[in-house]
Amino acid sequence: MADKTLPKTDVVIVGGGWTGLTAAYELAKAGQRCVIVERGKHRHDATSFAGPEEHDELKYALQYKHMMDVKQNTLTFRNNRRQRALPMRRLGSFLPGEGLGGAGIHWNGQIWRPLESDLSMRSHYEARYGADFIPDKLTIQDWGVTYDELEPHFDFFEKVCGAAGFAGNLNGETRKGGNPFEGPRSSEYPTPAMKQPISATLFKEAAERAGLNPFPMPSANVTEKYENPYGAVLHACPYCGFCERFGCGYFAKADPIICVYDRIKDHENFEIRFDSTVLVVNKSEDGKTATGVTYVDADGVEVFQPADIVCMGAYSLWNVHLMLVSGLGKPYDPQSRTGTVGRNYAYQTIAAVDAFFDETITTNPFMGAGALGTIVDDYNGDNFDHSGLDFVGGGYIACKQYNGRPISYQPTPEGTPPWGAEWKQAVRDNYLHHADFVIHGSSASTHENYLDLDPTWTDKFGRPLLRMTFDFPDNDRRMIKHVLDRTIEIAESMDNVVSVSSANLAAEGSNYSIVPYQTTHNVGGAVMGTDPSTSAVNRYGQMWDHHNVFVFGACLFPQNLGYNPTGPLMGLAYWTLEHMKNDYLDNPRPLMDA
Amino acid sequence: MTRTRTFVLGLMTAVASFPLIILAQATSNVGDNSLADLEARLSDERTLFNVTVNEAPDDDLLELGRLVAMGGAENGGSGMACITCHGGAGAGDGSGAFPRLTGLPGWYSYKQLNDYASGTRPNQIMSGVAQRLTEREREAVSAYYGAMRADHVPTLGVIDQGLLQWGGQLAAVGSAEKGIPACVNCHGPQGTGNPPSVPYLAGQYADYMAYQLELWKDGMRDNDAMNVMSAIAQKMSTEDMRAVSEYYARVANPLTVPE
Repeated sequence: MADKTLPKTDVVIVGGGWTGLTAAYELAKAGQRCVIVERGKHRHDATSFAGPEEHDELKYALQYKHMMDVKQNTLTFRNNRRQRALPMRRLGSFLPGEGLGGAGIHWNGQIWRPLESDLSMRSHYEARYGADFIPDKLTIQDWGVTYDELEPHFDFFEKVCGAAGFAGNLNGETRKGGNPFEGPRSSEYPTPAMKQPISATLFKEAAERAGLNPFPMPSANVTEKYENPYGAVLHACPYCGFCERFGCGYFAKADPIICVYDRIKDHENFEIRFDSTVLVVNKSEDGKTATGVTYVDADGVEVFQPADIVCMGAYSLWNVHLMLVSGLGKPYDPQSRTGTVGRNYAYQTIAAVDAFFDETITTNPFMGAGALGTIVDDYNGDNFDHSGLDFVGGGYIACKQYNGRPISYQPTPEGTPPWGAEWKQAVRDNYLHHADFVIHGSSASTHENYLDLDPTWTDKFGRPLLRMTFDFPDNDRRMIKHVLDRTIEIAESMDNVVSVSSANLAAEGSNYSIVPYQTTHNVGGAVMGTDPSTSAVNRYGQMWDHHNVFVFGACLFPQNLGYNPTGPLMGLAYWTLEHMKNDYLDNPRPLMDA
Repeated sequence: MTRTRTFVLGLMTAVASFPLIILAQATSNVGDNSLADLEARLSDERTLFNVTVNEAPDDDLLELGRLVAMGGAENGGSGMACITCHGGAGAGDGSGAFPRLTGLPGWYSYKQLNDYASGTRPNQIMSGVAQRLTEREREAVSAYYGAMRADHVPTLGVIDQGLLQWGGQLAAVGSAEKGIPACVNCHGPQGTGNPPSVPYLAGQYADYMAYQLELWKDGMRDNDAMNVMSAIAQKMSTEDMRAVSEYYARVANPLTVPE
């Protein structure tokens, strides 16, 4: 029983990041009184993220001062069901955020859309390669929503961010210099593509010689002064090299604070409560609806906030955790393969390549940005023929220049000792002559990768910790090797390259490790779909079992794309909000029949 | 895998480089391209990010710079010697028309002269002056003033302390309300600039800075690499501009005064 009960509000929103603030903006403007409950603190780009203080690599990139504090909140992890899971006591593989703006503050700004075929992955592969092509082990499924339905929402989010890029498919017309594989765009990017660095320019030339289709990475690091549809004014990116793991004091990287929060914070229907952790989503006596949330406020007081609608906008993992501890939906059981909450957790499959130039090529890696680079998308999704290959999915190849920061950016060729005078000399010799590639691969869902509640470990409130059970599916190991080999071929064919080395985080024979950083793209666990036996929420992001609970974020993805999740998940958020505003608020009910 | 190796390589790139499996290939494509091709590529506007940094000035360049400052130049002089208005050491004066040039990054001053000459930074006096200087003379006089040192001219009169406080706040943390990023983001923690492309603000004259902010705001001046100054100035009121200019005029710049 909560210590106190507050007056009822129309909408209570868990989390003040991209999705939570956007839900509050759209619903407050639609006349709904919105309360956001955010576990972290207030912060702002101007006062909290200005250089030169912000450009403290040790504090922010290595000590994670903008990320969640795992001493306060964490999960347990194991590779498979035969192991006992242990708590993650340090951040490593992924870096969830905390505080106003959430992980939207320290993202890189890589703003993508899914391919048309990605959204109907199972039916697409079955239609093209036969009903038996997808192995039984994989639980890949369709999203229940099509690219055409989401396109206006992807487009709008790109306008909120002032995204920089060059459309490869404008209203169905393929344009040279963009991504020829992307679905049709209804409008050009709001700002021009970023200027490409030297390494990426040489990569582009090599890729073109190989008959591939390179294009500039779509970026939320805007390239000229831009006013978004909410009235926020962003400035041009100065390529400072402090995006990922940092906030942007230049107002150049789109984030939820400057793009959304500043434009709604004074609205009469908007309220946000900081330092407040939601413990549980409360359910009605018949269990069919939620009645609000109970949270612990800054003074340690337990508060019940009644509401007509609950929007779940926490980080994808914590949305699933909150559903499990609240008894929302049916938890997934891998033994019987029934239940949906926690089902189809997926990650991202990553490999990296380093190429080193001779001294005539100077790459100036310190001029960087979070979404600066040139992409080859020919090996992503089903952009290439999979017949004869023993895997589904793919990934993009990026020749990127995110940063050249002193502590972490010390590329040395294979064979260099890891310390000592020889290593130091190699760092000096190579710092300015390096090309940095990542292969950003999809992640297939399986019966055995899932989220549930840990039977042993609890958090400080006495709730069971979330337990993650994950290892790379063999499908993804074969996929990443295929794309990695293509990347090495391109790297070796680049002008003035003298050596190439690579690292595969999903190599055959090794287990997924939660220790080294890979990417903060944890997806699934509360997936969307049209079948209540395989999805926790319907195609509108509405929970099947509780029609006034709407779920946002990458937890909706039935499996992971070969792309970064923010663009896709924000497209879904606007799709959900449109249906809430137009179809639900006046007539609250399940929007689909179960 | 040793701990050291994890630290060194695991953090090497933004996306992990934990070397679980290392494949190494050595290739050699050197010599495939002619030097001219490479040079052309390196001079490409996209790869330069609009910035060129020249080599350290030699004595000849500085000597030529001094001559240009005194009014001597190949095309019969600049019409007006720099020293007439900006002084021999570039100290300028507080009228608002004659900024301090002392110790400005050479590349910055050189770019301004080019922009005056081309009209990118229009100015009735300076455009004519710059047009009459050769490329080499613009470079030389910029290097010369960049190498000079001079004491600050003390600010005169009484200033409202509240205004100064506000200026200091804009400089250090900007304004969340107005969406103004802090000056220190680019101009450095002490306002001493970020060579080669970002000039100092500390010790610059208040009237000059306030006037420039107005020009940025109106779009009359629009010659920074990423066009950010106009966007910032357009978010500032006249009082904001005055406040931040008066503040920086009172901040000592140790890099431009005699040791």
